[in-house]
Amino acid sequence: MGPYLLRRLLAIIPVLAVVVTVVFLLIHLIPGDPVSVMLGPDATLSQIEATRKGLGLDRPIYEQLIGFYARVLRGDLGQSYFLDRPVSQALWERAEPTLVLMLSALVVAIAIGVPSGTIAAAYRGSAWDRGLMLVSLLGVCIPGFWLSLNFIYFFAVRLGWLPAAGYVSVFTDPVGAMRYMVLPAFSLGFNQSALIARISRSCMLDVLQQDYIRTARAKGLSHGVVTWVHAFRNALVPVVTVIGITTAVLIGGAVVTEIVFNIPGLGRLIISAILRRDYPVVQGVVLVTATVYVLINLGVDLLYAIIDPRIRYD
Amino acid sequence: MARSVPVRKALVSVVAVLLVVVGAALAADAPRKGGVLRVGNLGEPPALDAHWTTASITETLTNHIYEGLYSLDSGNRPIPMLAEGVTVSKDGLVYTFKLRQGVKFHNGKEMTSEDVVASLGRWGKQSVYGKALFAQVAEFKALDKYAVEMRLKEKSAIVLISLAVPNNFGAIYPKEIADKFPPEQKVTEYIGTGPFKLAEWKPDQYIRMVRFDDYKSRNEKPNGYGGGKTAYVDEIRWVPVPEVATRVAQVETGELDFADDLNLDAYDRLKKNPNARAIVSKPYYWLVAVMNKKEGLMTNQKLRQAWQAAIDIEPIMKNVAGGKTEFYRMDSSLAPVEITAWHTKIAGLPWNEHNKDKAKRLLQEAGYKKEPIRFMTTQEYKWMYDFALLTKQQLEDVGFNIDLQVVDWATLVKRRNNSKEYDVFTTGMGVFYDPTHHIYLTAGWPGWTTDEGILKLQADLARETDPKKRMALWEQQTRQFYEKVPVIRYGDLFGLRAARNTVKDFNDKTERVRFYNVWLEK
Repeated sequence: MGPYLLRRLLAIIPVLAVVVTVVFLLIHLIPGDPVSVMLGPDATLSQIEATRKGLGLDRPIYEQLIGFYARVLRGDLGQSYFLDRPVSQALWERAEPTLVLMLSALVVAIAIGVPSGTIAAAYRGSAWDRGLMLVSLLGVCIPGFWLSLNFIYFFAVRLGWLPAAGYVSVFTDPVGAMRYMVLPAFSLGFNQSALIARISRSCMLDVLQQDYIRTARAKGLSHGVVTWVHAFRNALVPVVTVIGITTAVLIGGAVVTEIVFNIPGLGRLIISAILRRDYPVVQGVVLVTATVYVLINLGVDLLYAIIDPRIRYD
Repeated sequence: MARSVPVRKALVSVVAVLLVVVGAALAADAPRKGGVLRVGNLGEPPALDAHWTTASITETLTNHIYEGLYSLDSGNRPIPMLAEGVTVSKDGLVYTFKLRQGVKFHNGKEMTSEDVVASLGRWGKQSVYGKALFAQVAEFKALDKYAVEMRLKEKSAIVLISLAVPNNFGAIYPKEIADKFPPEQKVTEYIGTGPFKLAEWKPDQYIRMVRFDDYKSRNEKPNGYGGGKTAYVDEIRWVPVPEVATRVAQVETGELDFADDLNLDAYDRLKKNPNARAIVSKPYYWLVAVMNKKEGLMTNQKLRQAWQAAIDIEPIMKNVAGGKTEFYRMDSSLAPVEITAWHTKIAGLPWNEHNKDKAKRLLQEAGYKKEPIRFMTTQEYKWMYDFALLTKQQLEDVGFNIDLQVVDWATLVKRRNNSKEYDVFTTGMGVFYDPTHHIYLTAGWPGWTTDEGILKLQADLARETDPKKRMALWEQQTRQFYEKVPVIRYGDLFGLRAARNTVKDFNDKTERVRFYNVWLEK
């Protein structure tokens, strides 16, 4: 396990280097200019040139890339053009809302997905099965954006049950934070629960056809015990993979959700940074999300070994 | 006269009752202090340095924190703000400004002439309007603690209006701050003399401004952007809400008290809501297609004239305004009706002719051979995209070949600086308060108007101080505009904002939102 972990951790470095370089080149090679956005529509061309020079944007791109690498190796992600603060600080401030959103969405996705998939499999062909799978089909198909806006319209504007948008930190006001988080967590989690439900169902069906299940049933064990005690744990391995992927997907899905529900997280940060070409922020967010993504993958692989003792890493 | 006693008694009681009633009514309508005003806007400002950027969001925010020597009244004419007044020498070359005394900065320090000299010096090196003014200034210095003197190289018509323009404006900072941040570097310490001071800026969450208790208001009534200012609300909380549908919903639920820059299709929904009010904001923009006159196809004046002759503006405007006549206006003047001093009424200009024959003839005279014309627009501003699309259709009807290039806003504003990359781009022209401020008539702005006739008139307008003669020059400039077509003028488009009914005394006559003198009934 030890050498395996070390190998995996070392392999992360080239992956991140490639990701960061590609993003750097992409964002710099697409046209657009932070300076024109910053100085506003009426700025004159001479002002724009002067400010570009001040930010070092007039230098050739390879020089800028080398400078960027040099800074990253020193652990410095640079200074945001727009936010008057270091990128690392901006990232740190935005991490909490995104983490809270992802975790709550994940809880929603698992809480809906795993039981409904398992129930659907256990009562295969029944009305329960068909009903749950229809809902999950809807979940896969509905665009998150549309779902979010409808949630806002019905639950906030029409019924007035929950706030339409905004964010309160869990550390300052836990109850308020939950109220703000319900709609975004459900609209983001619902989409993902669909995938989890479908995978859970098919894994469960696989397991339920195994010999040892037949043996268990032959011993006279009840349907519930067979499903939840014998089959469930063995059906979990692929489900964990999907949940891992889901978590990674949530990073992406969080962008839309954060914008619609006005949550000041990393998703909103990167979208506004891309739109106004705040290069240091884009690079910083990508570097950090890529790292998280890779680590989640590693974590999922390690979890296998815990769930299924037959899987060993040497 | 015994009989008159009951009459008098009755009269006295009637008057007493009336007084009570009127008093109660007045009390109900009297502005009261307190509350947090939550304002939804579309994003983060690039800076809170008024000298540094022309971005309109910065303009809105900074005008609550800072003030300049002059401001604009309800007719968009300059009126003193931090200045007591000005005296101009007979030859028109020396302006002596007296400053108001006892005006405090947010850090407690009194504003004096050294702050004014340092701030306007910085502004003159960075701001679009400051640079234009300071190009004419020979010397700018303090005379004593409360007086500054501006000595000009030549007679100028734009001294007061330049100091009064709210965008990219001559905000007065403490000298230490004006000195600490060189002009090309944005200020990151925010201290002004305005009725609100900055309390906290959390990007993408809120900007919190709180009442400045030592604010020294002018004694006049509120007037346009100037006059007396009172901070009634304890706090203005500016909340960036980039998704426009969310902004609308939050006004409906009461999570926001005010929201700006809404989509016009929210108008009907807001009108039905008993708790909120839809506000049409005008003037807003006139739509414009800016021609590249440095390089490429559109350097051909006949081709530009053909475009102008071909378009049928009313259906375009109607479509851009979502079919709602409340949101657009057909007008050929380069200054909107609201800028009363510069609005022109000239009959017979070749505006909105939609004359296909004339357009075809001009195309032929231009020697146009269906070369593709690169027309840049963006979907980030839906109205820009809509008007570009409809324009393309109309132009292709008469024989143009339009290569519509849809890019994002950051790309558009970058590309438009390079004469090799486009022929035409879409944008909106905000309000200009003086003829010399119309940037599309200058050589230093994208599109590059280098026409000698136009530039000469601009220079004359900057020098001429007699209002009547200036108006004559401006009318001449307008005629020239339609002949030489540096850009194509479409119609005026209006904006939409919304306020909860609890927001009182909001002045919806000014173009930009201002929340001093606004109070909350809660």
